[in-house]
Amino acid sequence: MDQPIWLTFIVAFIFMNVLLVGMAYMTWYERKVLAAMQDRVGPNRTGPKGLLQPIADGIKLLGKEDLIPAHADKVVFYFAPLVVFVVAITRVAVIPFGNTITVFGHPVNLWVTDLNVGALFLLAFGSLGVYGIILGGYASANRYSLLGGLRSAAQVVSYEIVLGLSLVGIFLLSSSLSIRTIMEQQTRDLVFALGPLTLTLPNWFILSQPLAFVIFFLAAVAETNRAPFDLPEAETELVSGFHTEYSAFRFSFYFLGEYINMIVVSLFAATLFLGGIDGPGADRFWGLGILWLLLKVVLFLFFYIWLRATLPRFRYDQLMGIAWKVLLPLVLVNIMITALIRLIGNGQLSF
Amino acid sequence: MAWNALFFYLLGIISVLAAIGMVTVRNPVHSAIFLVLTLFNTAGIFVMLGAEFLAAAQVIVYAGAVLVLMLFFLMLIDPQKLPERGGGHPVQRIVGPLLGVILFLEVAAAIANRAISGTTGNATPENILFVGGSTQALGNVLFTQYLLPFEVVSLVLLIGVVGAIVLALPERLGERLATISLGHPRGTDLALPEGPATAAPITRADQQATGELEATREIILVRDPDLYTGVGSRKSGDAGQR
Repeated sequence: MDQPIWLTFIVAFIFMNVLLVGMAYMTWYERKVLAAMQDRVGPNRTGPKGLLQPIADGIKLLGKEDLIPAHADKVVFYFAPLVVFVVAITRVAVIPFGNTITVFGHPVNLWVTDLNVGALFLLAFGSLGVYGIILGGYASANRYSLLGGLRSAAQVVSYEIVLGLSLVGIFLLSSSLSIRTIMEQQTRDLVFALGPLTLTLPNWFILSQPLAFVIFFLAAVAETNRAPFDLPEAETELVSGFHTEYSAFRFSFYFLGEYINMIVVSLFAATLFLGGIDGPGADRFWGLGILWLLLKVVLFLFFYIWLRATLPRFRYDQLMGIAWKVLLPLVLVNIMITALIRLIGNGQLSF
Repeated sequence: MAWNALFFYLLGIISVLAAIGMVTVRNPVHSAIFLVLTLFNTAGIFVMLGAEFLAAAQVIVYAGAVLVLMLFFLMLIDPQKLPERGGGHPVQRIVGPLLGVILFLEVAAAIANRAISGTTGNATPENILFVGGSTQALGNVLFTQYLLPFEVVSLVLLIGVVGAIVLALPERLGERLATISLGHPRGTDLALPEGPATAAPITRADQQATGELEATREIILVRDPDLYTGVGSRKSGDAGQR
């Protein structure tokens, strides 16, 4: 189902802008949900129910003075925020929002590219995003920023291993690294016959890999530097850590990058574990599929905010301890069990 | 086809320029950034050759993990205290360029003899398509034909990890526990004197005698923070009684 390259560019352009608008309204959603959890009202002055607040915030950030510390490493200071933003937005290229649809007689693929290592692509670009944080912390010539950068380096490297290994179970079950193939395999129904009654379940990987799902989500929260794993920008100890010295739209690039990463990770989790666009009626009408996907993403984003509102920040040694002493052994056990079951299922292992 | 050539030259030129930048700049952090750029562009060339798995692995392992850890300590180097250009140990100054020249001659000889092309294996595009892609083809070969070398390499890496942990372990367990529970860098709070692990525990009197206690911050352990701050518990309302 090849399509001309200009069509792919149009699809990518639409995705990018939808993502940016989604990010803006993610901040509104976060503030509203946080407010509700803390028994406040939240933004309510700009537009109906505060809906114009993200736009006002954007204009405010663009209009501010762009400050650069005197001893900063200027070139690195300039491009570090861009790394976070560009890397975050590139990751959406491998996520499918549906199958091929027909618009004005043209077949249009609702994904930008179907790499045969799509899942690895997402992990690889996720690991590149940390450069923006580390280099930003280094270039600021500020001890707090440097500490934030150092923390981020250790944290991301540790949780990246857990994040990658938590997906190995899925790769074993689906025999593929392509996100589209993994998603298509989840649209089948699993039918269980329990005596007289038959139970039909979707073949979502959350059902066959529940442990991996929990670990994936924890590691994803840590990798996006969100509470309770937001040690690199701990306000109470590091005065916002790596972005202390950033202002105006350089700061907003960090801000954009963090929120886009959250959305991308939610899309990733929804596609790999919750069947992506799969849902009742999704095979008949493509719009419904996108709606199901968005619903799952909003659910994940709600969890993100819920965690932030509920849990206090981890201490630094606890953070590393969880990754290496709890999550890593669990995820290795998960891989072993999955591999064993796969071998028995293939008939390659008999007792 | 023209697009492919354009992208190849773009990636190739950037990666060569970044490699030159990596060895010529003085600031080690900038050097690391150039190395990331080189690795990333080389990964791009891998993608153009149809080796997507290799490209992803290179970015994840080298750019995403190894260099992040290198930056971890490179960032702590004070750029004011770097040695002058042309400095360093005399042996390094002679052996370094010599090894570089030897490597260059080796690569040049390999290219000149066309030894780099080698014999064609059975990994033809048709065969790769048959097993389902380059990732599957690589996995098949790695876990059948090259299983022993693969396991040996992982064993070597494991030994490296264990060795690093042994080197990093502090001599005394007490010191380690204190460091972990306080989250402070080693030795800033407790300032335990060096000594064999079997020595008698150091008391406060010992530390006062050596003058060590004055130099460090005292650790206050309180079960009830209210006792220390003098502020009564707000919930029970017995603030005046303490």
